[in-house]
Amino acid sequence: MNTIDIKQSEPSQVEFNPTELTQTVGNIYADNAKMAIRNVDVFYGNKAHGDKQAIHNVSLDIAKNQVTALIGPSGCGKSTFLRCLNRMNDTIENCRVTGQLMLDGEDIYAKKLDPVLLRARVGMVFQKPNPFPKSIYDNVAYGARIHGLTNNKVELDEIVERSLQKAGLFNEVKDRLKDPGTGLSGGQQQRLCIARTIAVSPEVILMDEPASALDPIATAIIEELIDELKEKYTIAIVTHSMQQAARVSQHTAYFHMGKLVEMGKTEDIFTRPSHKLTENYITGRFG
Amino acid sequence: MTKSEKANSPCGFTSKLHLDKHISRRFNEELEQVRTLVMKMGELVEQQVNDGLSAVLNADATLAEQVIARDKKVNSMELEIDEYCTQILARRQPAASDLRLIVSVIKSITDIERMGDEAVKFGKNAIKLAQGNFAEEEGARPLVELKHLGKHVSETLNTALIAYAQMDVDAAYNIIENDNIIDEEFDNISRLLVTKMMENPREIKNALRVTWCARALERIGDHTTNLCEYIVYLVEGKDVRHGNAK
Amino acid sequence: MTNSIENSTVRSVENSMLNKQVTPASSLSTTDRVTINLKKRHQKEKRFKSLGLFAVLFGFMLVVILIADITSKALPAFHQHWVKLDVNYQSDWLNVDVSSTQAALAKQMKTASYRKVLKNSVYQMFSTVSNKKLSRKEKRQLIKLFSTNAEFTLKEILIADPSFIDKSVNVWVRLDDDVDSYLKEGFAVGDAGLRISQQQAQWLAQLSTEQRIESRFNVSFFTASDSREPELAGIKGALMGTLLTLFVTLLLSFPLGVAGALYLEEFAPKNRITDLIEININNLAAVPSIVFGLLGLAVIINLFGLPRSAPLVGGIVLTLMTLPTIIIASRAAIKAVPPSLREAALGLGASKMQVTFSHVLPQAMPGIITGAIIGIAQALGETAPLLMIGMVAFIVDVPTSIVDSATVLPVQIFLWADSPERAFLAKTSAAILVLLTLLLVINVTATVLRAKFEKK
Repeated sequence: MNTIDIKQSEPSQVEFNPTELTQTVGNIYADNAKMAIRNVDVFYGNKAHGDKQAIHNVSLDIAKNQVTALIGPSGCGKSTFLRCLNRMNDTIENCRVTGQLMLDGEDIYAKKLDPVLLRARVGMVFQKPNPFPKSIYDNVAYGARIHGLTNNKVELDEIVERSLQKAGLFNEVKDRLKDPGTGLSGGQQQRLCIARTIAVSPEVILMDEPASALDPIATAIIEELIDELKEKYTIAIVTHSMQQAARVSQHTAYFHMGKLVEMGKTEDIFTRPSHKLTENYITGRFG
Repeated sequence: MTKSEKANSPCGFTSKLHLDKHISRRFNEELEQVRTLVMKMGELVEQQVNDGLSAVLNADATLAEQVIARDKKVNSMELEIDEYCTQILARRQPAASDLRLIVSVIKSITDIERMGDEAVKFGKNAIKLAQGNFAEEEGARPLVELKHLGKHVSETLNTALIAYAQMDVDAAYNIIENDNIIDEEFDNISRLLVTKMMENPREIKNALRVTWCARALERIGDHTTNLCEYIVYLVEGKDVRHGNAK
Repeated sequence: MTNSIENSTVRSVENSMLNKQVTPASSLSTTDRVTINLKKRHQKEKRFKSLGLFAVLFGFMLVVILIADITSKALPAFHQHWVKLDVNYQSDWLNVDVSSTQAALAKQMKTASYRKVLKNSVYQMFSTVSNKKLSRKEKRQLIKLFSTNAEFTLKEILIADPSFIDKSVNVWVRLDDDVDSYLKEGFAVGDAGLRISQQQAQWLAQLSTEQRIESRFNVSFFTASDSREPELAGIKGALMGTLLTLFVTLLLSFPLGVAGALYLEEFAPKNRITDLIEININNLAAVPSIVFGLLGLAVIINLFGLPRSAPLVGGIVLTLMTLPTIIIASRAAIKAVPPSLREAALGLGASKMQVTFSHVLPQAMPGIITGAIIGIAQALGETAPLLMIGMVAFIVDVPTSIVDSATVLPVQIFLWADSPERAFLAKTSAAILVLLTLLLVINVTATVLRAKFEKK
């Protein structure tokens, strides 16, 4: 009988140098793109003391009414990239963004575009729930108030109730709207932050690791919420958990050291990724 | 597939899958263990097929009994590997190539187990044939053809198992493409045996038995082709079953 | 550490060899090794704790001693001795014409000679008792028993009820500060430094047996302003001056300080100029306060021509002094606001101003108020700069606006501390107590305010 000798896998070297990565693999364009990003670079530091480049020539589309997940190891620039989409990087000293970022075809870094207006259209939910030290009602109503979206109390009540309903929080807090927002549990606080964001009726919601500080049940509730929200909003989510990206998103982009390595449909990325780096990251090889 | 196509295919920079090098050493070991078990099952079934064939050709009843008895081991290995894979899915949530490995293994062992069942059929028919004193001279030509087909199928199975071990996609594609040869040979034997049956109605029973053995060989060929399709899926991520575009 | 373990191990080996037992060093488990040192660690802790407790108690005790000392010295200032006199409002002593009209009489009463009435009434009282005429010297001594404003008390009584003319009335008047001190401290006559003569002491004893001397709560301490006579001196003027000055200081320094801190923290670009401003503010906090006084004198009074000694000028000078403190404390409070709060507001589309005033400022309020209180408390006790701008003058009138001449409590204390009269000692301590009480009130208000903001 022939015995078949199983070929032992040889110790392998990294096939190539990631810094030589020149081209993104996969499909970065969407048919119906809400936001289009082209050739974006982000630099920290100033020209005098030496620039550090955080994002290298990234281009991709964020598809409308779909969830796009940005994954990658720590420090790969995905959060930095996300913050470019609503110009939160403007608040950081010595941060320069070059390239074209467009929302519905308009350049969001144009001089005449007010970042305040942009942030009313592109909302953000942060990693650590950060409700204002005000009442639950005031938390949700804050956005509507400062943008002057409504003048009378009845409309404001409606907006607050609707937002809390959509965030799946209303039933839990409807008889204590005047209680401080900081008195809720972690998962509830995060849902409050989401309600606060959608009360402004944005078009795009950016989420920076929204569930990383929450327990599994609260995480599952948030993921379910994201799934429902995509009917009305375009969502981009940064996450450390690959399983979360796989559960929640329709498109996935893999970042590595500030470059976009691969992007495509989530099913494809997770069953047959094209790029070796993506494969290694997803299967837990080489760190 | 041309070399350039290979380079542009998924994981095109290399076809080695690095089924090791996970940060979790235990995971590496588990995956290696799965592969080892599958290869063992494959070896066992290969032996079953060869022994069964030999029993039929040499009317060896003892060997046939052995083959039938050993099928229990094949079945238990299928159960064991299935359970192992389920556990890996539950505990590791594998992705990409690891996922494809587990999925293809689960499918492969079904085909391998069926091959074992076909080998059992050899055994059963061999016993009947031995009882019937089916002289070689009388049924010379069909048996020669059977021997020929059997050798072909056995070699093909061996090649497939080696390709499985080495994740050799080219060999796998070869076997897939040449599946029709086995079918043709089977048709030949069928026709021969039908002629024989028409010539010598006394030999219908035995001829039928030989036909069934040939059919079993044809089935083994099909299962071998399936194995090769799983190899392609594992390495390249492409599903080439049912004549899907290559 | 290992040495001591080895040593203790060696010792234990030696000991056990004496006991015919062998404990090899390697058999010491972690538990054993930790136990050996545990006692020492606990002892260290205990020592540190008791040291801390001792320090706290010591400080506390010093404060208690200080307060007790001041209070005991101040107590005499809160009551005064009054004497009941039989006053004869004889019209010829008053030098008024009883037959004139009501209006004319009223006018005459204003300018009547009440001193004569006082003198003669007193002489009458004592000559009837001792039944002999008083000598000139005795008369002088007698009159010296009473406060210089006794005659004004008489005047007030008569004007209030003109029907007392040509009648004998009982009137309570104040005693002189020397008498007051003598009665309070009860020294024996003849003690060095005592300003009461034997004769006066006798008279006082006599008055006392006649139940004519009474000790009353010294309301005039709070209602009167400064005076040369200790028994008449009060802090009202200084208190009003302090309140007005503090009002001006608070009004100017709080908004400026908070606005400055907000600008530096939130809006200023991070360049050299901002760094320079920061350094200068930090240095200003360490400048001796008298320099600000000089600045006030040279610039505010001379250049701008604002009135001297006014709470307005004092307020401006103290503002300059308090501003760095408030700015530094406010900056720290603003810096402590977590950036996640700012990001949340920015992410919703709030403008910088909205983020600052809706979120950062309310959140930083407790810290800002604390800083303001520290600054105001500092300003409350400042004397040197105010001396420079002239708030040292002897101010008798109670200031009613911020441009009236005024003095402040610390300066008043300083002036009184300088005075030789014994009674001023008590008054100084009493004024210090009032100052401390004011400080306490400000602190309590601030604590309440802070709690209100924190709850929100």
